Amino acid sequence: MAEMIKLFVNGNEVEVEAGKNLIDAIGAVGIEIPHLCYHPALGADGNCRMCLVGLEEGGPPLVPACKTPAAEGMKVLLDADHIKKIQHDVLEFQLINHPVDCPVCDQAGECSLQDYYMTYDGQKSRMTVPQVTKSKKMDFGCGVVHDQERCVLCGRCVRFCRQITRTGELGIVNRTDTARVAIFPGRPLDNRYAVNVVDLCPVGAMTSADFRFKQRVWFMKKERGVCHGCSRGCNITIDHNREKDQDDLIYRFRPLFNEQVNGYFICDEGRLSYRDENENRLTEARLSKTTISLDRAVTASLKEFKRAEGIVILISPDCSLEQMVSIKSLAEELGAPLSGFSDGYIKKGDGDDYLIQDDKAANRAGLTALNIDSSQSAFEEALAKAGLLINFNNDLSLFYDESSLKKLFKEKRVIGVTSRDTKLFQMANLVIPVASFTEYSGSIINCDNILQTFNRAITKNDAPLDMSEVAALLGGPLKTNGDRYDKLKKIVVSLNDFNPDTIPATGLKLT
Amino acid sequence: MSDRSQLISTGEPFKFDQERDTEFERLIKRYPERESMILPALWLTQEQEGWISAEAIAYIADRIGTFASKVFECATFYTMYHLHPMGKYHICVCRTLSCWLRDKQAIVDYLRDEIGIEPGQKSEDGKFSLEEVECLGHCGTAPVVQINGEFHEEMDVEKLTALLAELN
Ligand code: SF4
Ligand code: SF4
Ligand code: FES
Ligand code: FES
Repeated sequence: MAEMIKLFVNGNEVEVEAGKNLIDAIGAVGIEIPHLCYHPALGADGNCRMCLVGLEEGGPPLVPACKTPAAEGMKVLLDADHIKKIQHDVLEFQLINHPVDCPVCDQAGECSLQDYYMTYDGQKSRMTVPQVTKSKKMDFGCGVVHDQERCVLCGRCVRFCRQITRTGELGIVNRTDTARVAIFPGRPLDNRYAVNVVDLCPVGAMTSADFRFKQRVWFMKKERGVCHGCSRGCNITIDHNREKDQDDLIYRFRPLFNEQVNGYFICDEGRLSYRDENENRLTEARLSKTTISLDRAVTASLKEFKRAEGIVILISPDCSLEQMVSIKSLAEELGAPLSGFSDGYIKKGDGDDYLIQDDKAANRAGLTALNIDSSQSAFEEALAKAGLLINFNNDLSLFYDESSLKKLFKEKRVIGVTSRDTKLFQMANLVIPVASFTEYSGSIINCDNILQTFNRAITKNDAPLDMSEVAALLGGPLKTNGDRYDKLKKIVVSLNDFNPDTIPATGLKLT
Repeated sequence: MSDRSQLISTGEPFKFDQERDTEFERLIKRYPERESMILPALWLTQEQEGWISAEAIAYIADRIGTFASKVFECATFYTMYHLHPMGKYHICVCRTLSCWLRDKQAIVDYLRDEIGIEPGQKSEDGKFSLEEVECLGHCGTAPVVQINGEFHEEMDVEKLTALLAELN
């Protein structure tokens, strides 16, 4: 537990954490100090002056809250008239050359400048001189579009590229009212985290080419999720909306702060992986290319089981622990060997020393925890002996090319239980659609052995089943999540004392 | 202030000549941080070429081992760096207090009429460019004119006429 200290805000005593600056310390107890340039991941730059607060007794009467550590007994003034006037005046300066094109600005609805104007300023512009004009719609690379006129020159984007990615593509050029953010000609944004500047930008100066003009932010619902793009398992906010007469669609993933997993950021690839949740989905069961109902697909599968001379089950390393244990139990029930072979998910050398991992599997640690064999030899041997392969969403095409797959599946029957309608699953004799990771609740273990849970964020019009439920329909003995957890605890010693409900939102480091 | 961020490209790679190269290496030893060389390196470039191109900025950044964006920032922040070619004779007239009081305006007006350019412009034949600058540090002998870095003090129209004749 962090050390707590007492101080006063507008004369009221509050207890806050020691060692933080006033913005974070007081912010944590729900009192907002407006600020533009400060960001906890980037430190205090002190350039915007939006955070000026008064101090009664001791020290200078006026201090930037971002650069002032909370101290015992401090008397902070936020609602005094002279502080309100400063906030008002700073905003008036900020808005001198601001285009105020909120109606066509993507940031509207989640813009600090807009919110602060409404809270702290609210007056009409008094400017009579023409505004300084700058460039708009600038392609900064990596899908980042910049509007120099909307920029408040807080420098967050510049500091991000210098301090976090250490690629330094952005700079603030010129000075005074002609200052602007720019890339050096011919050296655009070129890093795998670039789109984070869009989230960092407190205004609509940095926008994402991918998201621009797709949705007004107030129409979208926000849900917490965990990215399945690699074994880091970054925490994300899933912004989605069901437009009239349409299905529930995801419009963007944004990073969600989790200190022990991803901090404040996510990678660009993970950010764009929301597309896979919307596109190219398998929505209906198919038997030899003919659409059938789920019931018929289950009956047909059970027939296949009876007919088959030897079954082998393949499981995806992206599956949740609940799905893994369900499928493992199904395999035991059927007496079928179970494999988690997924070498194709590992892209050697692709990871970095920040977030991105070589291993693109979200829950390989889960396979290991459940003692599921993942070797190529065991998988290929088992398959050679079997007549039927049941593939639970494992993307074998990451490892085998098309001709090797054909060879592998020769004279085999293949049942695919999958969320994606890909070439690989088009080769199967029978496919059953299942939910993708934003559509079910589950738990996974990341590359640092941190157990994270997530809840269903999206409910499709024809909501496909969770893979665990399909495993149950196919004869798996674990019918409820209760069953699944009991079994999980039996196998995974480190899960013994824990319940899904007691796992903190920030994850649980397993030992 | 006008926008200085529209850099000009020569289309040719830039590099220091022998003399500036040696000077660069001599100076860089002075600083604990290599980045401290950004401003001196910009000066060296300007000395060599008379102005600073996009290629030169990239060269300086790579030579120092810093981000081009940082050199870009410095070059556009300080107006003493020329980001486009100047006239053969670049004339700076001080416009700060002492020189102002000692009638720098007469000098500017004379040059404007004589050469036919406003401060910030270059003559069509490329011979002269004119700029008003802040204090040049020779206030005791105001008004001050600086031509290609050389000082001319206690200037008046008469002296300037002679000077221009010499240059022409
Ligand atoms: S673009 Fe946004 S983040 Fe960057 S300096 Fe401008 S306002 Fe700040
Ligand atoms: S680092 Fe991995 S988990 Fe994080 S956003 Fe990128 S792909 Fe997703
Ligand atoms: S947040 Fe303190 S000066 Fe910008
Ligand atoms: S005021 Fe002109 S040189 Fe100082």
